[in-house]
Amino acid sequence: MSEALPLPEVHGLAHEAFLEEVHSFEFWFQSVSGYLAGRPYGQRPDLVDEPLAPDRRERLVTVLCNYCVGETAALEGASGLVAIAPDRLIQVFLSTQVVDEGRHLEVLLHRLRQLGVTDMEAEIAKRASPALVHFKRRLLELVASRDWEAAIFSQNVILEAMEFTVFQSHARTADPVTRELLQGIIKDERRHIGFGENELGRRLRVSPHIRARIGEVKRELDHFVLDSFEETLRELGVPASERPELGRSYLDAVARLGFA
Amino acid sequence: MADFLSMYSIQHWLESCPQGYLTDTEYGHPAGESEPDFVLSDPLLRDQAVGATVQLVIGERCALAASSGLINSAPDEASKRYLATQTLDEARHVEIFTQRLYDLGVKKAELEETLRQLGNPNLVRFAEILLEKVDKKDFVAGVVGQNIVLEGMAFSVFEMMYAGNQALNPKFAHTLSGTIADERRHVGFGENRIGSLIREHPEKKAEVERMQRDMSYYMLATFADSFRNRPAQEEMAKVRARMSGYGGPKAEWHGADLSSLAPAEMESLLADTVLKEFKVRLARIGLEYQTPVRP
Repeated sequence: MSEALPLPEVHGLAHEAFLEEVHSFEFWFQSVSGYLAGRPYGQRPDLVDEPLAPDRRERLVTVLCNYCVGETAALEGASGLVAIAPDRLIQVFLSTQVVDEGRHLEVLLHRLRQLGVTDMEAEIAKRASPALVHFKRRLLELVASRDWEAAIFSQNVILEAMEFTVFQSHARTADPVTRELLQGIIKDERRHIGFGENELGRRLRVSPHIRARIGEVKRELDHFVLDSFEETLRELGVPASERPELGRSYLDAVARLGFA
Repeated sequence: MADFLSMYSIQHWLESCPQGYLTDTEYGHPAGESEPDFVLSDPLLRDQAVGATVQLVIGERCALAASSGLINSAPDEASKRYLATQTLDEARHVEIFTQRLYDLGVKKAELEETLRQLGNPNLVRFAEILLEKVDKKDFVAGVVGQNIVLEGMAFSVFEMMYAGNQALNPKFAHTLSGTIADERRHVGFGENRIGSLIREHPEKKAEVERMQRDMSYYMLATFADSFRNRPAQEEMAKVRARMSGYGGPKAEWHGADLSSLAPAEMESLLADTVLKEFKVRLARIGLEYQTPVRP
């Protein structure tokens, strides 16, 4: 993975061949080559870490602890989805997502270590947003109940869109090291969201009645997502007047995926 | 434990596997390599290759289900992250061995039926015993079953197949060499992580040892079915002889020339090697090897 390999041209492929290509280990391997090569723990080794004022560091630690909760939910959710995936290609794709989520967790823990946190588990437990912990529990319940459409919607649309929105916003104001690792995570999230949109889109075309069930799940989970946004944005120092903007961004992102 | 687990981080995996021995490979082998003509053109050899590869796909599907299933029952974050890498390793193995079936002429639409028809029932039972433990979220039994028993078996089987194919079928040998490197890492994790858990949960010993004995029985039964019903054996010996004027290229493994062994001798060599490895590895983690009934 020393050099980025050219990605295969997939959009000219027939539908089945397209799915086979984009769900494969080979496709994942070529996709991540470009942005993971030469960046141990998501950071270029020559990137200079800027000193943070104590209160900014403290807020960043809280935010990163909550990202760890989200990524642990994503790791456990994606690994549970492997067992209920409807076919082998989807199992392989979800396995690439499992390792992506594990990597996100690892780079975030590494960043916490750089910020001087020693007991990660205790710190995460202490600082975790209750809304996010509720979200995680509900997501894992949906996976455990083998409700494929609801689980894939919660994991690859709601959770991924939530992370995508927050990470993009945070990356704009973050210190250089945090920004770089968030940008690497965002690239993976795009792939995961694309999968969720494609998979659910196909199912909705064949079985439109599942839209109502997905709507129910969305209404239930939006509440946790918006509450956890509020808590994260407060920690990031975003003024109260600007916080609804990010909530709207998330709702718009989900609506663009066809789930208003 | 923290230091040992740092050797099993995703960063370490990225550097050693995708950025290491998989660089410039395609489905596990260098681009452009293909199955040799003597396999594709001889129905007996092709059928034997398809039959053997079917067992690999079944074993790897089991490993994929087990490693992903164990993530949620792992007692610590570092083990969860390690198992994420193992999940993707196993998915890659499923993908590359499935691709080999396609390369051997199995049609995509016929894949599941081919697996159903040719899958060895003893191997399926072996997998079921492991997956029952995973379903019960029994992390200790699951990791012993997966990373010591299943991976230990796969490691030796792949090594033996590698030795047998190195000269005759470089494409398949290259595919196997990446999986062998993966399996070595998986076995290492099992040994290192489980030892401390067994010490913390001595009450688990008897149940885990029973599982090892049962899985070992079905493993031996799978070997017996594979070696005792092998019409292509003679054909393979002829191919080796044709490839050299002096009796064909040697295929050495554990001091034996595989090309000169009778099927019963090969079965016995493989079974003894795997069981010996089990004994050593189980002793390292504080478990006592249970001798299975020989089928």
